[in-house]
Amino acid sequence: MSGLLRWLTALAGRLLDRVDGPLLAGLLAIMAASLLVQASAADGELRAVLAQGVRFAVGLVALLILSRLSPTFLREWTPLAYLGSLGLIGLVFLFGQGRSADLWLDLGVFYLQPGELLKLSVPMMAAWFLHQARLPPGWRSLALCAVIIGLPVALTILQPDLGTGLLVGASGVFVVFLAGIAWWRIALFAGIGLAALPVAWQFLMPYQKDRVLTFLDPESDPLGAGWNIIQSKIAIGSGGIDGKGWGQGTQAQLDFLPEHTTDFVFSVFAEEFGWIGVLVLLGLYLFVTLRGLWLAAQARDTYSRLLAGALTLTFSVYVVVNAGMVAGFLPVVGVPMPLLSYGGTSAVSLLAGFGIVMAAGAHRRRWGG
Amino acid sequence: MNRWRPGPLGRSADEATQFRRRALLAGIVVTALLVALALGYGRLQILLHEEYATRSDENRIRLEPIIPARGLVFDRNGVLLADNAPAYRLDIVPERVPDLPALLDELGRIVALDANDLARFEAARRASRRFQPVPLKARLDEAEIARLAIDRHRFPGVEVVPYLTRRYPFGALTAHVVGYVGRPDADDLAALEARGERRFSVLPHLGRTGIERYHEARLRGEVGHQAVETNVENRPLRVLRRHDARPGQDLQLGLDIRLQQAMVEAFQGQYGAAVAIEPTTGEILGMVSLPAFDPNLFVGGIPVADFRRLNEDPARPLFNRNVLGGFPPGSTLKPFLALAGLEAGLITPQWTVLSTGAFRLPGQAREYRDWRPGGHGRVALVESLAQSVNTYYFELAMKLGIDGISRDLAVYGFGQPTGIDLRGESSGVLPSRAWKQARFRQPWFPGETVIAGIGQGYWVTTPLQLARATAALADDGRLRRPHLVRAVRAGFDQPMQALPQPAPQQVVRDPAALAAVEAGLVAALHGPTGTARLSGEGAAYRIAGKTGTAQRVGRQGDARIDSARLPLHLRHQALFVGYAPVEQPSIAVAVIVEHGGSGAVAAAVARRIFDAWMALPPTAVAPDEAAP
Repeated sequence: MSGLLRWLTALAGRLLDRVDGPLLAGLLAIMAASLLVQASAADGELRAVLAQGVRFAVGLVALLILSRLSPTFLREWTPLAYLGSLGLIGLVFLFGQGRSADLWLDLGVFYLQPGELLKLSVPMMAAWFLHQARLPPGWRSLALCAVIIGLPVALTILQPDLGTGLLVGASGVFVVFLAGIAWWRIALFAGIGLAALPVAWQFLMPYQKDRVLTFLDPESDPLGAGWNIIQSKIAIGSGGIDGKGWGQGTQAQLDFLPEHTTDFVFSVFAEEFGWIGVLVLLGLYLFVTLRGLWLAAQARDTYSRLLAGALTLTFSVYVVVNAGMVAGFLPVVGVPMPLLSYGGTSAVSLLAGFGIVMAAGAHRRRWGG
Repeated sequence: MNRWRPGPLGRSADEATQFRRRALLAGIVVTALLVALALGYGRLQILLHEEYATRSDENRIRLEPIIPARGLVFDRNGVLLADNAPAYRLDIVPERVPDLPALLDELGRIVALDANDLARFEAARRASRRFQPVPLKARLDEAEIARLAIDRHRFPGVEVVPYLTRRYPFGALTAHVVGYVGRPDADDLAALEARGERRFSVLPHLGRTGIERYHEARLRGEVGHQAVETNVENRPLRVLRRHDARPGQDLQLGLDIRLQQAMVEAFQGQYGAAVAIEPTTGEILGMVSLPAFDPNLFVGGIPVADFRRLNEDPARPLFNRNVLGGFPPGSTLKPFLALAGLEAGLITPQWTVLSTGAFRLPGQAREYRDWRPGGHGRVALVESLAQSVNTYYFELAMKLGIDGISRDLAVYGFGQPTGIDLRGESSGVLPSRAWKQARFRQPWFPGETVIAGIGQGYWVTTPLQLARATAALADDGRLRRPHLVRAVRAGFDQPMQALPQPAPQQVVRDPAALAAVEAGLVAALHGPTGTARLSGEGAAYRIAGKTGTAQRVGRQGDARIDSARLPLHLRHQALFVGYAPVEQPSIAVAVIVEHGGSGAVAAAVARRIFDAWMALPPTAVAPDEAAP
């Protein structure tokens, strides 16, 4: 009996020895908050909470496995992962045409959103390429990076899934940024990007244009497009400093706030736990981000560094965009609050990403000088 | 930097440094963004908290009125005259109906829907939000409810809503007493608003006529309200605060529905009006105006065609002749004129007048005639009343003078509203110099005094005024306020409490004068020469009364008019006032039979009313003991 126990402890120790304690603690705290607010929204219907818990468990397993992979191994398989995920998005693109909401592939067991895989494979590919290139990247490297990043981004946006597309793009761009791209080049790209905005506007779907217009003046159509954002602001504002209490958020409980388990879950959190709750949760997100960046900085090789840093920054983009969007500071884009929102592959791919971050940090300490 | 080419190790270190710099910068930017977000949330949750908290409450809290049950109306024996009956309404929630035209089409096969219903539904639907129920049909009958119950699952968004509606079990029988309620229209709502009573605009009914109108403030009760938490679909979830409604007061009338029924039957199909008053209280025992109408037609909003039919009927069924109708009292005024002469000391019961068939004022050619050609001979007070001798009253009128007539007959309430608890009561006309001057800007002529003495000329009275004055004769000269409602109670568990009435006025001070007049009134029915002797025959009790004729056409010179040969609408109105039993009067009546010709016709109606009243067992049951 005690032998079995000792064997189990040893196994757990070996499984956990690449895991970064503080980062895991931060993630677990956010996941706990998620289960709490999902339980409140579920209103006695605990299946949804259980499903979210199962997803977290799957994600944590992915995190443990990835944290044990050596960066070299990951790097060698990167091109294959990239091409594979690109192929999946192509499948969705072919079979999902004409149905804007159909961004899923039925894998029998669960639905897979290939866009989520791209959030991992695109920064991996960019890091893989820049690992071999001369840094800081010159024009030729940047051009190739543009292809590596631009192709999947274009496919995702055409699906159309603007939110995921922007996040995939961001994850790739962060790799380039962390690789030390010269500031004058950044300024040049930024200038070109701004100039291209009116052109990009032409390619947006009508509902995406609506969202931007609604953001500019939500009260112009309070019962239509502006409804979500108005109700979300009412939820947040009525929460006050200390909130209405767990399960007492009338905006969510009485269904005034749509999407209150997914994209607008942070509004529910703000309504029920108030500004104090918002400070605690944003503090946790900040801690996770800074810890991830610190771990990335510890990494031994360029590939790990760039990848871990980009994944962490992408995570923070989720937070800023979602928190900004539900409070009406940013236009509505379909970006969930990482780990807090109810959702499938997002939670799993995020946790998997942090497994890679932990692997990068751990391998530095193990083999580094 | 680009020009510097580092070795493998140096390159790696340089890249690491570069990475750290960029990572540090990114960390600072992320920190700054999150701090900015935290401040932005602080602005919403602290600075703007009040505003958003209010909007959150407005979202979810709806203030709903609680409708009080309208007060019930009972007769003196506790029989329900107006009650609240459960009814069922058909509502549609447009949001939950996939295909509205198809639904209306299908519903039309199950319940009767006319163009009116559909038009009203369409108008109401456009004026309300999609999730709010819109009434389609105000009243479902039982067969329709049953058919709907069977097919309920086929009609999502269709609701059968129970509510209370007003019901008048006796229909036309109480139409002019209890009156009716109607649905408030835009004018009513504006009037409520102007009186600062907007809270009552949610009531389904508003008293329009009769008791329902006059006692509206008692019957309607007080509206309550509750704050209800609703979800986004406006469905009520729970009550947060509640302020109960106070139900309307129940009213008990002095009216006996059995007598009321007998009064209608007493007319034997003729048109007219009759009021019966209890002399010792002033309570109205019965009040009919014929023809009448079914008040239930008005409760749910009367169809235009029905209203037009009633309103344009020449027999005027909507018109309550008892309080609105005016006509000259004719000879029914004679007892009051006699009392005025006796009390003023101008005549005695023994004073006599010679009736030759025609009366002339000194120096004037015009003749004022008796109804019997050749006259009645020499008559004293009793015979003057029994035979209705005009000449006696021409002489008396000249003694009193117009000023004496207007002064001494005003005490019986002529020329002013009786104060009954009904709206719009007519004052009638008590002729006087001042009245004529104001009305016609002409002086008074002596000949007008002569005909005023027999209740003709400018005189206008209502049946109620006559009945009230007659009741005063029956009650030893005490004039009372006639009233319909005798008692009220605040709730079904409360006792009925009598409504205080003004003290009676002693309008006849000389009992001997009253006795002399009564002898004449008894002789009119039971004397050998009485004008109503046919109506007095065979009665087991004694009646005091006076016939009268209200003329529609004046006499042209010497020509006599045979009323029975005139076209119906030009015939005289037959009148009768009286009370019974003489020894201890329990009922006083005034009867007018339209186009009845002679007063004896009205006397016959009155006799049937008296007989019915005397035959009724005095079963006074408290309303709470009466079975509903």
